[in-house]
Amino acid sequence: MENKVTIKIPKPLYEKLKVSIEGSGFSSVTEFVVYVLRDLVSHQEISKESSNLSAKEIEAIRKRLKSMGYF
Amino acid sequence: MNNKKVFVFGIDCFEPSLVFDEWRKELPNLSSLMEQGAWGKMESTLPPITVPAWTSMMTSKDPGQLGFYGFRNRKSYGYEELYFANGAYVKEKTLWQILSRNRLTSIVLSVPQSYPPKPINGIMAGCFLTPDKSGVWTYPESVAKEIDFAAGGDYIIDVKEFRTDNKDELLKQIYEMTKRRFMVVRDFVKSKEWDFFVFVEMGVDRIHHAFWRYHDKNHRLYEKGHKYEFAIRDYYIYLDNEIGSVLKMLDDDTVVFVVSDHGAQTMVGAICVNEFFRKEEMLKLKTEPQKQQKLKTADIDWKKTLCWGEGGYYSRIFMNVEGREPEGIIPKNEYEKVRDQIKEKLENLGDEKGNPIGTKVYKPEEIYRDVKNIPPDLIVFFGNLNWRSAGSVGGGKIHTFENDTGPDDANHAQYGLFIMKGKGVKA
Repeated sequence: MENKVTIKIPKPLYEKLKVSIEGSGFSSVTEFVVYVLRDLVSHQEISKESSNLSAKEIEAIRKRLKSMGYF
Repeated sequence: MNNKKVFVFGIDCFEPSLVFDEWRKELPNLSSLMEQGAWGKMESTLPPITVPAWTSMMTSKDPGQLGFYGFRNRKSYGYEELYFANGAYVKEKTLWQILSRNRLTSIVLSVPQSYPPKPINGIMAGCFLTPDKSGVWTYPESVAKEIDFAAGGDYIIDVKEFRTDNKDELLKQIYEMTKRRFMVVRDFVKSKEWDFFVFVEMGVDRIHHAFWRYHDKNHRLYEKGHKYEFAIRDYYIYLDNEIGSVLKMLDDDTVVFVVSDHGAQTMVGAICVNEFFRKEEMLKLKTEPQKQQKLKTADIDWKKTLCWGEGGYYSRIFMNVEGREPEGIIPKNEYEKVRDQIKEKLENLGDEKGNPIGTKVYKPEEIYRDVKNIPPDLIVFFGNLNWRSAGSVGGGKIHTFENDTGPDDANHAQYGLFIMKGKGVKA
């Protein structure tokens, strides 16, 4: 839990969100809020974490694409 | 409560003329969908290549707006290697991200550029750009085991060795991959909650590239009566049957789509674009290559080079512009003039006998609504994609019939297909 922080939101908003996620696949308001925020951030910049593939991974993809004639 | 759902069968490279005309009677499930719904050819992106075509379809943005123009793209105006545009580079919102924000649940299986997987309200499995399954290839991570289990032990991302002469083995792998993917689809249709379900099957693309010569009477290597003459047709029939098995599980409130990202056509040969530029004295190498080899930018004499090209199903041309490339020589105010000259030369390049082939050359800013990141200076479809482009240098030949990357029979075609059936869709 040490790598998480608490964010406070107004209770009426929380209640509204709680109703709006019923039967939606999101199991809690937190899960939904985290999704929305993550979604927001992911469009700002390319995630360094996910675009920094290892040299080995890049080589595996390169080999496969080349073998399929993509270049 | 709205119970409407959408199910999308994404079939990479599904060729409209084969589904709608040639084999229509032999594909009962697809024909039935066509009779009950709307269908037609669907124009792909320019270029009609898996990346960016699927992401374009899933975001409503063209390649220029997406900021990637193919699998590999320029990171800067330097001469370094191109980078791979995997899912991390998709900044525009995909359909499932919009649905997630609206609290609807999606299942997204192997849609190209869905690796690395991103959080979603639902389930996502990586596409064929997944390096291997030892890393995280699904969201949530824990669903990977379930997918493998539903696939009979091993969900196959893509065939292992595509450019092989061992066609029997390749055919076996293609069927195995498709069979296992549909096992997961059927399992998840039934066992998971979803509002939107999309998956992409790569088998058709793979079988076209490897077996087209046996199927197409106009292919230069066609042999009548070859044991693989009906390999593609039989696989289409098999696929139709698998599609039918899923259709049976969907209710009347589900809108069904069958879509492809591009079509297929015979490949006549390859044009060695850099050999052409050398002959035209637009590209100069530091030393003469002893044999046909990959063009390395380190071997180029930049002070005497106007442009160079990349190989692939289509070609991209990059120009060496003063103040833009590190050793650029084309003055900025002559950029358009030189670009038009290159365009004209490429358009006029005929086949090995000099006959016209109808090459199309595009300027990015004329075909896209926006031009993000670094586009190629020109996008070239040799013979309107009847010819591929080879990037290699050496050997002295501009036209070649032996592919520099191994056996391949088919190229992509500009039109894929769509079939749509559901309440409110007029037949």
